Amino acid sequence: MESSRPLRIVRDVTAVTVVGIFMFPIFWWALTSIKPISAIFDKDRVNFFDFTPTFINYGVTLFGQSRSQLAIDQGIGMGVGGAEAYDSRQSIMESVIVSLGATAITMAVAVFAAYAISRMMFRGRSHYLNWVLGQRFMPPIAILVPLVTIYKTAGLRDTDNLYMGYFGLMMIYALMNLPIAVLLMKSFLDDVPKDVDEAAMIDGATRFQTFRKVVLPMVKGGIAASAVLVFIFSWTEFLLSLFLTTEIRTVPVKIQTFVTSTGNEWGFIAALGTAAIIPSFVFILLVQKNLVRGLTLGSLKE
Amino acid sequence: MSSVTIKNVRKSYGNLEVVHGIDLTIEDGSFVVLLGPSGCGKSTLLRMIAGLESVTGGDIEIQGRRVNNVHPKDRNIAMVFQNYALYAHMKVKDNMSFSLQLAKRPKAEIDEKVKWAAKILNLKPYLDRYPRELSGGQRQRVAMGRAIVRNPAVFLFDEPLSNLDAKLRVQMRTEIKELHERLKTTTVYVTHDQIEAMTMADKIVILRDGYIEQEGSPLEVYDKPANLFVAEFIGSPSMNLLKGEVTSNGVLLGEGTTLPLPPVHKAALGQKVVYGIRPEHFTFGSGAPAKVVVVEPTGPEMHIYADMGGQEICAITQDRVSLTRDEIFHLQPRLDKVHLFDATSGKALA
Ligand SMILES: Nc1ncnc2c1ncn2[C@@H]1O[C@H](COP(=O)(O)OP(=O)(O)OP(=O)(O)O)[C@@H](O)[C@H]1O
Ligand SMILES: [Mg+2]
Repeated sequence: MESSRPLRIVRDVTAVTVVGIFMFPIFWWALTSIKPISAIFDKDRVNFFDFTPTFINYGVTLFGQSRSQLAIDQGIGMGVGGAEAYDSRQSIMESVIVSLGATAITMAVAVFAAYAISRMMFRGRSHYLNWVLGQRFMPPIAILVPLVTIYKTAGLRDTDNLYMGYFGLMMIYALMNLPIAVLLMKSFLDDVPKDVDEAAMIDGATRFQTFRKVVLPMVKGGIAASAVLVFIFSWTEFLLSLFLTTEIRTVPVKIQTFVTSTGNEWGFIAALGTAAIIPSFVFILLVQKNLVRGLTLGSLKE
Repeated sequence: MSSVTIKNVRKSYGNLEVVHGIDLTIEDGSFVVLLGPSGCGKSTLLRMIAGLESVTGGDIEIQGRRVNNVHPKDRNIAMVFQNYALYAHMKVKDNMSFSLQLAKRPKAEIDEKVKWAAKILNLKPYLDRYPRELSGGQRQRVAMGRAIVRNPAVFLFDEPLSNLDAKLRVQMRTEIKELHERLKTTTVYVTHDQIEAMTMADKIVILRDGYIEQEGSPLEVYDKPANLFVAEFIGSPSMNLLKGEVTSNGVLLGEGTTLPLPPVHKAALGQKVVYGIRPEHFTFGSGAPAKVVVVEPTGPEMHIYADMGGQEICAITQDRVSLTRDEIFHLQPRLDKVHLFDATSGKALA
């Protein structure tokens, strides 16, 4: 649709403003991450750019450098401690393992489940959407206490067995993400006409061959988009990770430990927080087109 | 030998029966068109032949073998769908050879068959393209290629041309017909377009609400419609159907207009009938009076819509007549072309 010039300007300005408002916290966070402490804690003004950028926060959190050492080297202040505690490389590894594992489990189940819901007739098929919404009625914190007990009893605590701990966390993430992943995949699968399945069937493909050789390749983009979403949800999850694991410290939990009794390490929080955005950001860019289509549940037809 | 035999086949969805005991024999090598309005059960019947729908009652035989419980792939059939149903992620040649690949045929054979099909369907330049890079007509040809490489006993088409524009539809119609002449493979073709049916079929099967209304060659169903439904459905513009009553002079339409009866008929005096006469079967100049409503010149002929005895009729002539609105002219039905139907049952009386 062709709109008039003034209308177009208003539209563009609005879009830029809204995006600006949403992006500002991220910008501020990234900016904070390269500020020295003196610029972060400026009591007299809001300091935008009046500082000498430092990568010390990244050095400490991502590269395991000792802060006191760096501080001395650079001649900035004295009496800073807690070198090891801020090295987050282990946490990042753990987060990657848990998030990728959870994504793999979720997607493996979701594509099959979504295919069944999209293609096969069975009792209760039409109630799926209600079930998904139902899942969302209850905040995770409501089930946290029983869940911790269940995990303890089932031997899924990382304090008992580290591997089971990883597995436990992946499982709970998979369970949490499954409804939305299935819903998304169903919308992608529904876009593939049923005739295609039937054509493949006549061509001699078994049900599984039809699924694997015909339908699945046609929803590749959808699988990628759903997987990215699941990954991001798992990557940013805080509460369950905090309560269900002790040894394993995913990045959000790790960041929280930077709030200490002797003060909040805003520089480190900002640095790790900013770094944690990057994977999500890159993945989203890669699957943007499909994601938009999936989240509108196929209602945006080109 | 007959290629497909359908014996008292029924189909129900839940409690709703949509196909009510159909008997049909499809001869080897023939081109049979299932024709009928939307929702009459054409697709359902075709899909039962394909094995995509289960049969609720009766038997389907393909090449003398009962196939009710045989998987679609083992029925020796190939199907072309309305929306092509191509595999979007495969190149044209892979679309066409998918069935052969699944059957683990040797590569040389696959290549040869694909080449052969591509040659017949003029698809050679497109073998390495993806379906999205093809026009609608080309896509439909790929779908046909996918069907012919398998060399099946029966081709099934479900409204293959209805997604194409009018001009392409006419062209593809000819191509499908040519393909059939060339391969002589038994074909069952579903459409709701009676022109498609008339031009392509060896035999037309006219369906309504899950029953067969009539079957026969295109000219049989055109010249001898068995009932009112067929009479109205076949032909464009459709047959004039005038309500009237049989008298000793002919059929009285009302307002004193009487049309002559054909020499042989089964109508009784005083019976309520429908008098059927196709627009092209009038002689102009004498006979019953009619008042002009609209004149539509189409080029080769003129279509004249008029009022006869209070009922609307259409008459076609290839002469250049000059008639204006409200003008009275005279029409004489050609007696050998007159149809009579019982007004209540709709059955043909002559
Ligand atoms: N899965 C189904 N469940 C219930 N009823 C169905 C189902 N499929 C078809 N029908 C009904 O069966 C009847 C015949 O359908 P069918 O698709 O065979 O019609 P058609 O002649 O092919 O029509 P069209 O020209 O619109 O394709 C219709 O009344 C339809 O509503
Ligand atoms: Mg149909």
